[in-house]
Parts: sequence; structure tokens; C-alpha cells
Amino acid sequence: MTAPEPLLAARGISKRFPGVVALDHVDLDVRAGEVHAILGQNGAGKTTLMNILFGLVQPDEGTLTLDGRRVRFRSPHDALAQGIGMVHQTRRLVSAHTVLENIVLGHPRARGFLNLRRARADVETLCNRYGFRVDLGARVWQLSEGGRQWVEILKALYRGARILILDEPTSVLTPPEVRTLLAGLQALVRDQGVTVLLVTHKLPIVMTASRRVTVLRSGRVVARLPTAEATEEVLIQHMIGRDVAFRSVGRSHTAGRPLLEVEHLAAFNDKGLLALRGVTFGLREGEVLGVAGVTGNGQEELAQVLAGLRPAAGGRLRLDGLDVTHLSPLDRWRLGVGYIPAERAEVASIAAFSLVENTTLNYHFDPAYTRRGLLDDTGLAQLTQRILSAYNVKAPHEYVRAQHLSGGNLQKLILGRVLSRHPRLLIAHLPTQGLDVEATAFVRSTLLDARASGAAVVLISEDLDEILSLSDWVAPIYEGRFGAVLPHDEADAETVGAMMAGLPMREAGAR
Amino acid sequence: MRLGRHEITLDPRPTLRPIYTVLTAVVAIVVALALSSVLFLSAETGPFSAYRIVFSYAFFNPRGFLATTHRAIYLLFATYAFLVPLRAGLWNIGLPGQVFAGALASFAVPLALRAAESPTPALPPVLIIGLMVAAAAAAGGVLGGFAGILRARLQVNEILVTMMLNSILFWLVSYMIKEGGVFMGATAEGESFSLPPSLYAPLLRGVPFTAVLALLAAVFLDLLFAKTALGYRIRALGENPAAARYGGIIPVTLSLMVFLLGGAFAGLAGYHYFAALPGVYKIPGNYGYYGDLAFYGIISALIARGSSLGAVPIAVLFAGLSLGARFAQGALHLPFGVDYALLGLLMMTFVGSQVVYNFRLAWRRVPSEAASSMTTGMPEA
Repeated sequence: MTAPEPLLAARGISKRFPGVVALDHVDLDVRAGEVHAILGQNGAGKTTLMNILFGLVQPDEGTLTLDGRRVRFRSPHDALAQGIGMVHQTRRLVSAHTVLENIVLGHPRARGFLNLRRARADVETLCNRYGFRVDLGARVWQLSEGGRQWVEILKALYRGARILILDEPTSVLTPPEVRTLLAGLQALVRDQGVTVLLVTHKLPIVMTASRRVTVLRSGRVVARLPTAEATEEVLIQHMIGRDVAFRSVGRSHTAGRPLLEVEHLAAFNDKGLLALRGVTFGLREGEVLGVAGVTGNGQEELAQVLAGLRPAAGGRLRLDGLDVTHLSPLDRWRLGVGYIPAERAEVASIAAFSLVENTTLNYHFDPAYTRRGLLDDTGLAQLTQRILSAYNVKAPHEYVRAQHLSGGNLQKLILGRVLSRHPRLLIAHLPTQGLDVEATAFVRSTLLDARASGAAVVLISEDLDEILSLSDWVAPIYEGRFGAVLPHDEADAETVGAMMAGLPMREAGAR
Repeated sequence: MRLGRHEITLDPRPTLRPIYTVLTAVVAIVVALALSSVLFLSAETGPFSAYRIVFSYAFFNPRGFLATTHRAIYLLFATYAFLVPLRAGLWNIGLPGQVFAGALASFAVPLALRAAESPTPALPPVLIIGLMVAAAAAAGGVLGGFAGILRARLQVNEILVTMMLNSILFWLVSYMIKEGGVFMGATAEGESFSLPPSLYAPLLRGVPFTAVLALLAAVFLDLLFAKTALGYRIRALGENPAAARYGGIIPVTLSLMVFLLGGAFAGLAGYHYFAALPGVYKIPGNYGYYGDLAFYGIISALIARGSSLGAVPIAVLFAGLSLGARFAQGALHLPFGVDYALLGLLMMTFVGSQVVYNFRLAWRRVPSEAASSMTTGMPEA
């Protein structure tokens, strides 16, 4: 059997960034009418490769062929003209504009005078052909993340894309939205002959949605195979190059004395709505409370109120007997509260600062590293070096800017920085979101190490497996309230999952 | 850009060596001077001799160089006034207003002590001069702090507040020095009273002691931002307010602090220009010109990339070129405004040089096959 001629082929693509080889002679064959998954860890070069295919980045070496013709994309404009569209990991829409306005934005026909009526007719035809149901008059900010993603896909199709590149499309979607997306993509491929390049590090997505898969590791292609012939274990091994043993929670140790007491804690969200509506729990030293829920049910507000970044609208918070409800974030850091926010690039780090300066973010107030208002530069540099090596952060040196770290390495740095303060209470919000298999395992085992050393951990996550494997107590959160606080033995996936969806305890338990 | 079988593209320049900073600055100056030769076309002499006149007056003529130094000190204070809030991510556009506040406050001291007319002042002159400097810094600081506290407490846009304060202070000075104002001079020519000689600022080789303050401040500010916890907090707030809050940094205090400090520097600029310069020692009728000159502090802070020591040569250059060009304008009978045009061009080439600093030109050969497909695939190019 001879392989069919690829629609889009890359040969010997190399790209070097200062200090790193992002891609090292990568070959890629994408056949017409398939969902082709690009699998790899953070920093494996997936996004760089896709940016080259879309003309955002110029390769140092190598060639691209489309339909057997050599092509060269100097900008996304070139790629779009050749029928290649890309949906980025982060949304690139104007949120105050309508769906229709966003779709026609940047289209060559939208230059000069904008004929929205004609554009609407065109887009409606397109929607009918692809079977999309989108309210073209809706403002983008009113849509869910899943809806916004469809707008971007529609936008690419409106530009005439035959090949659709989706970079980590599922990272911000809820499970039902993921199902809708994957079903929609299958329909596009089956009925319309669209070719989809799916960039992801999530194995279940690859297994359910793709026909063939190319695995990247450290900028090289390490496997290229039909999905039907692959198993999750094989793909994991290709991705990380060895087996990863997940550590399960050691249940042998006994919890220490009570540390955290939370009573009827409530908080408003940024829109002024009561998003956290009275949660009550207690936590001992050496215990993990897993707060399980779909994003947007008050988790963000809970984390911020615990850390002092959001005022409590009601209730009380005691740490080791001391009422800390109205203490500032700084006072809480000093009292041993450590916080790992979900937004590691936006909140937990400063992109333009060096790694040393990012470490300083948790130490600028610490008498051990300041003397008469002066920062102890040497001490902070040494501390950063220790964090880099202890937490296996891959960085050329400690003075590199944080923006040059991949997501996983940045998270390890943040985790190491917070844990180096030996917090008594650790709040970890989505600590493994978007991380690859290896980094996820590392973060999880680090959280367990913190627990073993006596920290009380509030783990807020959407990943039910993560919650169940790490927590001593499980609290499903729904619309700002805990459905229950279940001991680990009584928390099974079905019960917690049902309570995350809003079913009360009795019904959830009866299922 | 395509040139036959080659193409030139702008690639981001990831690693920046210090030598590039200096090199791009020098190139920017040379380009600006080359472009401004057009301005001297109407002169009887060629551009080279015109530039010789500009530079020799600004930097080699004893009187010209003294004027350059005086103006550079003023620009430096204005630079710090913009630079300090900028490091916290805030924009102080209130330099003229704070300059005027500083000037008014420093003249208010002898007025209040009746030291202006009485031959035997109540306090030793040195003490009064010290009070004048302190009053100028305090008044500038209060005016800046007003914008800072509105910003910190009520999230009122600091750019709008500082700009409106500029107008208020401009007319306040006018009210004070003209038509019977409290500060009006005896000649009633729309100027303030002149300081008595006993209150002239001490000179060092013709340069008032404010030069020492300006240079010390340059060292102090760079050290503040590089070495201290306070400077770190200000920079963190400027780079990423959300991360700063996460790290326990309190934006309210810092926003107020940077505006107090920035305003104080602008107040010192006001003291320097109106109360410390030989031959001035009063608020002249055309005081608005010196207020507008303060805006060059914005440009020099931006070009120096937030470094106060880096701003020193830039301020000297701006001061020298503006004075030299004004001198050449008179000497060569050039059209009015040559000095402003020269500064404007210099600003533009400096801004343009930031592109060269951050990007490099990449020169590549286009593969022949790709070149042919490109021409078919790309309608525009």
C-alpha cells in the first residue's frame, strides 16, 4: 500500500531561538481530509511548528509543500491566501463587537466600505453549509469560551481555510464543550473535506478525535502513526521518553492539629455578584482539601479571599486561631499563607522580570533577604538557583526573563518559590492546568510533599482524578457553595461529579 | 521587502548588548543632524559650518556651555519627575504645573519672611535658600501627590488630572505676578519681584548648586530602582499590577509615593530655573516657555529607558542643541523655530532607533522554487 500524496508537507524544518533549538529537522505529512494530531509536552515545539505553517514564524531551514507545490509563507496573510487558517490557544476576538463583525474583520473584502448586509448573507450561507448555529448579532463577550472558539473557526472558514490549525483547542473548554467541538470537527472533516491539525497534549483528545498522530519531543519527531494502532501508554512513552509512575497518596500519616477554620465565607466577583455564597470548612496541618468544580462556580473568589486579594463579603477566616479575615495579602504571606494563582503568566509572575526578580516577588518583604531596605541580590540569586535545581526548572540561567520559560517550567518556578517559604497554608488554584504529563506529575507529587511536611493544602481543580488522588477531603463546589465536605473514603467520582453539576448530596449519593 | 532573489525582513532582536544602546543613540543623533541640514539650506554657509556654529556655541563657547549646563539641569529634574511615576506604570504629564508650583513656593518663602525688601533678613540667607528649595520640592510634590492620591484612591486617570493642573497653575502664576498680584515686581512689567542678591543660589564655576542635586539624584534613582525593596516594588507595580498585588505590594501607597517624589523633582526644576540661575532670579513674563520645555523630560526619560544616569547625556544633548540652534538662528539669519525643528527631528530619530534596537534586519536568499510560487500565490506584495 502506497501512502497517498500529502496535502501539506514539511521537510527538514528547523528553528532556533536564542539558547534553544525549538525544532530540529522536523518532517510532517498531513493528508487531505484527516484530523491529524500533533502531540507533545510543553516546550516540545508544537506551537512553533504550527506558527511556521501559518507564516507567523520563519523557519531557519526546511521547506513546505502544499498540493505538491513549494510554498513559502512570510506572514499569516500568505498562509490564509493559500487556504490555511489557525485558531490560537488564546482568543483573538474583539469582545465588544458582534460575532459577524469579528468574522469579517481582516477579510480582504472588508477593506474600505464595509457591506455588513452582504457579509451577513455570506456568513449565513457558510453556517448553513457547515451546519453551525451561531447568533451572528451576539456580542462576543456574551458568548461562552466554546462559543468564541466556534467564532474563530468560522472566521477561518470564511477566509477560505481548507486546512484548519487548532492550537490546544480544549484547554479552556468545559467537558460538554469539548465533546461539541470534537463532534463538530469530525463533521467538518467528513462532510466538507476540511483538513484539521489538532495540537494538544491531552491523550484522550488524540485517541477519540484524530486519525493519525505525530509526536514531538524536544523539537524532534519521535513517532508518526495511525491513531488506531496507538495506545495511550505507547503515546505517553513517546511523549516523555520513559515511563512516568504516578505517585498515589500515602495515607499512613496522621493529620496534625487544626490550622484553618473557615465559617460562612462569602465574596463578590468582579461584576458585583455574590459568587462565593458561604462556605464552611476546617483543615488540619498535613491535610489536603480538594475543591472540585467547573470553572466559574466561585473557585477564583474562594482562592482570592483566602489569599487576601479579595475582601470577604461575609463570614470569618481563622488561621491557627487568629482571625485573619481582614488582613492584607502581605500580612498573610508573613503568617505563612502561600498562594499559587491559576494565572501563572498574568498574576503569579512578571514576564519582563528575570527569574531572580520573580523569586523576589515572594521575598521583597522578608527580613532574611532585605537589609535596611536594600535587597540581598546575592542571596536571592542563590535562592533562585536552589529553586531551579530542586524543582527541575529548565532555564539557561537565573537572569533570563520569565517570558522565555515554557508554561510548565514557569509553574515549577512559581511552585518552588512559594514552597521555599514553607507555607503553613498552601492555596493551589488549577496548579496543573495546561501542563504536560511530566510536569503535572511533578507538581502533584510536590503538593503531596508539602502535605507530608505539615502544610494544609487547599487544592482547587477541575480535574476530578487529580482531586480524588490527592485529597483527604473533597468539597464539590457549585454556584458558590460546597455541596458537602466528604472524607476521601466516601468521595467517589460519581457522587462528586453529580454534586459538581449541582445535585444535592442525597440525590448524588443515591446514584 | 524583496530585492530580486533576496529579501530583507525585520526579526526581533532577542539579546541586547549594552554597546547597541550607545551605538543606536549615536546613529540616531547623526541621522537627525543629517536630516536637519535641510533647515540650514537658506543660510549663506553650508550645513557643516552651520553645525560648527551650533556645536561650538553649545559645548565650546564658555557662555554657551554655561547656558547648556543650566538648561540640562532643568531638563534632568523634569526627566526624573516623569521617570519615577513611569517606573510604577503611571504617566506624569503635569511637569509644567509642578514646575510652576515649585517656582511660586520658592518665591513665597522670601515674601513670607519679608526678606525681599528688608536689607536685614530675619534668618541667615543660607537657611532661607534651604527653605526655598524645600518649599519648591514640597509644592511640586503636593501637586503631584494630589494626582497620585486621586489615582490611587479613586482610579481617576492621572494623565487628565495632571494636564488640567498644568492649566490651573499656569493661570495661578499669571494671577500672582501680573496686574497687582502678590508676587508682582516693583516695575509692574508682568514679572515677579526679583530676589535680593543675598538669596542668589551659591555658584560653583558659574553653575548653581542645583547641579550637584541633579547628579546625586541620578545616582540615587538608579540605585533606588536597582537595589532597594522599595524600588523593586515600584517596578513590579509598573510591569504587572496584578502580580504586584499578588506579591503583597500595596498599590495605593506606592502610587502616591511616586507622584510625591516625581512632583518634588519638578518643583526643584522650578526652583532651579527661576530662583537659582544667574541673570534670572525672578519669574519672567514668558514663564510658560520654560514650563513647556519641561515636556522634553518625558522624551529623555523614555529614550533613557527609565535610567536616570542614562538620561544625563540625553538631557545635555537636548539642552545644547536647542540653545546652539537658537544661537545659529540668530547668527545665520535662519527662519524662526530652527531649534524646535532640530529637537523634533532628534526625537523622531530616537524613537525610530528603538526599532533598530529591538529588531535586526535579516538578509536572506529566497529559494528559487518558493520565489516562483510566491509570485503566483500572492496578489499583493
